[in-house]
Amino acid sequence: MKYQPLPWKDFLAQRPAVLDSWPTGKDVASIDEGLRYQRGIPESKNFAKAMAKAKAAGRTLLQPRAGVALIDDHIRLLRFLETEGTADLLPTTIDAYTRQNRYEEAARGIEKSRAAGTSLLNGFPAVNHGRDGCRMVTEAVTKPVQVRHGTPDARLLAEISLAGGFTSYEGGGISYNIPYAKKVEVGKCLRDWQYVDRLIGYYEENGITINREPFGPLTGTLVPPFISHAIAILEGLLALEQGVKSLTLGYGQGGNVLQDLAALASLRELADEYFHRAGFDGYDLTLVFHQWMGGFPEDEAKAFSVISLGAFVASAGRVEKTIVKSPQEAVGIPTKESNAAGLKATRQVLSMMMDQQICTDNVVIRRETDLIRREVDSLMSAVFAAADDDLVQGIVRAFAGGILDVPFAPSIYNKGKVLPIRDNEGYIRLFAKGSLPLGEDIMAFHKERLQERSKAEGRPVTFQMVTDDIYAISKGKLIGRPK
Amino acid sequence: MDVPRIVLGVIGADCHSVGNKILDAYFTEAGFHVVNLGVMASQDEFLDAAVESNAGAILVSSLYGHGLIDCEGLRQKAIERGLDKILLYVGGNLVVGKTPFAEIEKKFKDMGFDRVFSPHDDLTEAVKLLRQDLEDRKR
Repeated sequence: MKYQPLPWKDFLAQRPAVLDSWPTGKDVASIDEGLRYQRGIPESKNFAKAMAKAKAAGRTLLQPRAGVALIDDHIRLLRFLETEGTADLLPTTIDAYTRQNRYEEAARGIEKSRAAGTSLLNGFPAVNHGRDGCRMVTEAVTKPVQVRHGTPDARLLAEISLAGGFTSYEGGGISYNIPYAKKVEVGKCLRDWQYVDRLIGYYEENGITINREPFGPLTGTLVPPFISHAIAILEGLLALEQGVKSLTLGYGQGGNVLQDLAALASLRELADEYFHRAGFDGYDLTLVFHQWMGGFPEDEAKAFSVISLGAFVASAGRVEKTIVKSPQEAVGIPTKESNAAGLKATRQVLSMMMDQQICTDNVVIRRETDLIRREVDSLMSAVFAAADDDLVQGIVRAFAGGILDVPFAPSIYNKGKVLPIRDNEGYIRLFAKGSLPLGEDIMAFHKERLQERSKAEGRPVTFQMVTDDIYAISKGKLIGRPK
Repeated sequence: MDVPRIVLGVIGADCHSVGNKILDAYFTEAGFHVVNLGVMASQDEFLDAAVESNAGAILVSSLYGHGLIDCEGLRQKAIERGLDKILLYVGGNLVVGKTPFAEIEKKFKDMGFDRVFSPHDDLTEAVKLLRQDLEDRKR
């Protein structure tokens, strides 16, 4: 495999068209102006530094999700989350129109929100607000702020938000396409993300470290750890290739505690191994754990329990950051009070756990880490084999051939033949493997575990069981047992 | 007996795909012919599909909070396209922020939707209502 950054002249050749795609692009024409602005941001507000410090101290930082249409309201929201919510790290979640580069609709959303006196957009339209609007936000708070979105073509958003003082950028060429878009070609999205990573690599070369976080949970729906791990590692390799140095890989809570702990332990190990083997060094790897990304119970007391279990796993799994849900998750976007309540509940668990070491070296976790490792290796070697030295090509071919396949994803470029189901202890296993290149021994284990559940419930393993599992947690249980 | 036809999809820039796949499987299993547009379907795509398939109902999902903006004008457009009698259902997390369901329901009914569903409504009940409403429209 050959790793080489996008040539700077190729980057610059693309740039005018990127900046021309919306009028606010012209304000960021000088990259050096953005760099100068970033140099003036205090170290305490640099996301990469905060993550490195958390790693050194063995701490878990808390970050919510949040974003509204108007600048003043967004500032009020973030200030509330850092004061009342005691968030360590702040987000700026981008609205869904901006994510699809539909800036005219975002503009209408801004107008309608002004008229309605409340946000009608599900996030902050950073491109429309432009560089100066972003600076108003990042200057108004004391904590580092990250752009969180779901944008397949995030080039203009990156240019504007980095010049606007954000110091971390979520996403990746797979994780912000396959779960977030319907018709975006795999290769096109990967190349657009090379641009984003190259821009961040350029900031790095000039002394500004911007944290990069591939989106771990993918569809957030019964994704087996090895699938999200393989994709996180591939996106990590692509980011490192472009010169990114501060990398945070993510994993979304599955629900079975031992499987989650095994997933976190193996993600850190496997990522380091693959990065070193590819010849990368001198990067800073941290982990983020997402509290349950699937459907939540409507009852807020029950929702707090889901949040608290996630907080426990984040702590026992020793991750540097956890993304916190709110007790209003079931009804969509929370009020600021509810968002802060999720943070407080998480903080309570983390503080109680802070000085405790949970032993994760046991026979079950070893069985699971070993399994994840073999599964990830199977996928990765098949992607590399399809790559002909070009990783982008390898990933394109892997999706076309079903070597990579994300359960329940909307993209037409994803085969969608993989069906996961929980086993009798709630571990996420495979019911249908599609074309994933997994050996017979691995599949025999999945099958055996599902047979156990089938026997216990006295019903065959079918799509009904998958549906039951998807809604189980919102109905108060981990496993979707028959009534 | 005629197989009732319905158009299903997630409107706007919304990419929530999981529930859509389940609704497709569920309504198909319940005996409907489902034309599923998947995620990120525009109003025109819904209406084109309804005209082409001669559907009796359009089932719109919205999970990301932009429901009000995305659904505005769908009823008027349906009438313009000659779909005077078509049933319009909508369901999901329809607005930004926790709002009493009665308020949400009223807003969408005022926009011309026949029924409004919360994320916690039971699918068996929805199937029953849809069958009944389709029968009533025939008369």
